[in-house]
Amino acid sequence: MSEGSILIVDDEYGVRSGIRTILEMDGYEVGEAGDGAAALEALKERDYDVALLDYRLPDTDGLSLLQTMKQRGCEAMVCMITAYANIDTAIAATRQGVDFFLPKPFSPDDLEGVVATLLRHKRARTEADRLRAEHEASLLALAEEKTQTHSLVSSLRDAVLVVNRDGDIVLANPPMLALLDLSDDDVLMRPATELLGGGALAPLGQQLAAPAKDRTVRQLEIGEQTWMASIVTFRDQEGEARGRILTLSDISEVRRLAMEKQKFIRMMVHELKSPLGSIKGLLEVVTDKSLGDDLDPYLPMIARADHRIDNLALLIRDLLTLARSEQTQEGEEPELVPVAPVLDEVVELAREHGAQRGVTVTTALAADLPPALIRPDDLRLVLSNLVGNAVKYNRDGGSVTVRGAVADGWLRLDVADTGIGIREANLARLWDEFYRESRDETRELEGNGLGLSIVKRLVERAGGHLEVASIEGEGSTFSVLLPA
Amino acid sequence: MTPPTTVLFVDDDRDFLESKKVYLEARGYRVLTAESPDAAMATLEDETPAIIFLDLMMEHVDDGFRLGYRIGKDERLGHIPLVMLSGVAAETGTRFDGEAGGLREWSRLARFLDKPVTGQQVLAIVEELAVA
Repeated sequence: MSEGSILIVDDEYGVRSGIRTILEMDGYEVGEAGDGAAALEALKERDYDVALLDYRLPDTDGLSLLQTMKQRGCEAMVCMITAYANIDTAIAATRQGVDFFLPKPFSPDDLEGVVATLLRHKRARTEADRLRAEHEASLLALAEEKTQTHSLVSSLRDAVLVVNRDGDIVLANPPMLALLDLSDDDVLMRPATELLGGGALAPLGQQLAAPAKDRTVRQLEIGEQTWMASIVTFRDQEGEARGRILTLSDISEVRRLAMEKQKFIRMMVHELKSPLGSIKGLLEVVTDKSLGDDLDPYLPMIARADHRIDNLALLIRDLLTLARSEQTQEGEEPELVPVAPVLDEVVELAREHGAQRGVTVTTALAADLPPALIRPDDLRLVLSNLVGNAVKYNRDGGSVTVRGAVADGWLRLDVADTGIGIREANLARLWDEFYRESRDETRELEGNGLGLSIVKRLVERAGGHLEVASIEGEGSTFSVLLPA
Repeated sequence: MTPPTTVLFVDDDRDFLESKKVYLEARGYRVLTAESPDAAMATLEDETPAIIFLDLMMEHVDDGFRLGYRIGKDERLGHIPLVMLSGVAAETGTRFDGEAGGLREWSRLARFLDKPVTGQQVLAIVEELAVA
């Protein structure tokens, strides 16, 4: 690598070649120019570390050339060479950015000393520039990071509030501002206790001001919503508390689901325990010999107990189906299932049940009915539940009709019956787990209230939905709509 | 001969009613049964049983309490000991047996039993609360 690059600008060829010879022997790269224009040309070609300028040039003077060079972004160290040196020229030259002043005549040692010094300065300056650039870049990165953090916090769904050590607000993201019904200007650098004071958030203000622990979590109700509030103290490297972050997460939906699940479990326990209690009671009568030693009077009771056990087994089967319908297991992908064979299978069984009460079951599928995109077992369960219900809740001598066609982009399967119908007020609860319409007509009919819940989940899992139309005393039509 | 003590069971489970009826009748009690709160109120128009067993969860989850409340504030029936039966207390962590929520006082319950309830348990309660 070269020791450095030097541009010599002098109109005297002898001076130029003399300087060049000396500098090249020292290992420098050397360029030459005979006047100002040539110097500027040379600088277009490449950068130089040092420029040696003669004060008197044919087309310009050294100081004018220097100004032009600076304007064009030349960063070379500049040494002015002149035979007409006086103190005024020197001062003027220094003011205009000349780094060194070398009066003619000079010895090779003088020249070498000046060039070496200028190169050292140049390197120092380059290094300083590099460091400054690096520093500026890191400042820029820091600012960018702050912006990123800010936009990250702003885009959070959770409401976030940050206070400094003194409890003054330094950041509140849009959800927090919406919750407080305030703007950024209203909150910044205001004490948190003042802004959160009063109302549902008051306890949070106190905790932000003087937290008992580094991390506290509490649940609070604001209007209809349930929030989880977490306050975390953040510390610097020395462990000194710098401020606190309050995060409010809306957990209303989570809580609603938890309560729904709780209710479901309560119902399920009831549905499981009731038959067990009844079976136990029936058996107790037998072991107690309440009706005497003869076995015959007990036989109906034993048959009842047996029947209740069968129903329990069905209930457990349905509970498992319900649980399975909430998750998608691998290898249970929906496939294109021709409807007719599945429906025929379901209808055959329903006809057997209906025959005893004179209920007829007919089907009318469109000739060009496309296959349904659903798991085959799911389609069978959906149809057997709906057709089964249509027979069960029918009147003696009634009818069930299953139609299938494509309508409005949906594969539509209608199961229509001429049965007892559903009261309008009860339609909304129809899909609830364990719900059974309680009417004189239904009292004698057995069921666990899970069938339609299962149907709904299976149809929705296949991307479809259900419709129901019913007139009390006349009949119901349940429609399954699957993506065609 | 003194007339037999009358016991009323209100429960929507017919098998439960049947077994308790048979069990207590074998011991000389007169047993009335009702499958719904409305049927119970209808029965109580003509009858004044010595004790009433109510299922908590019939058509509505709190039917038992509502019926208990109706009976409790009735002038003629208010003194009858009420025993609430439920199958949901232990599993769900819901406790009805104490004073919690004033439910017991509200519906004037004499006892709260967790299902399943055996004929033996029922008999013991009847002997304690209904037989002078």
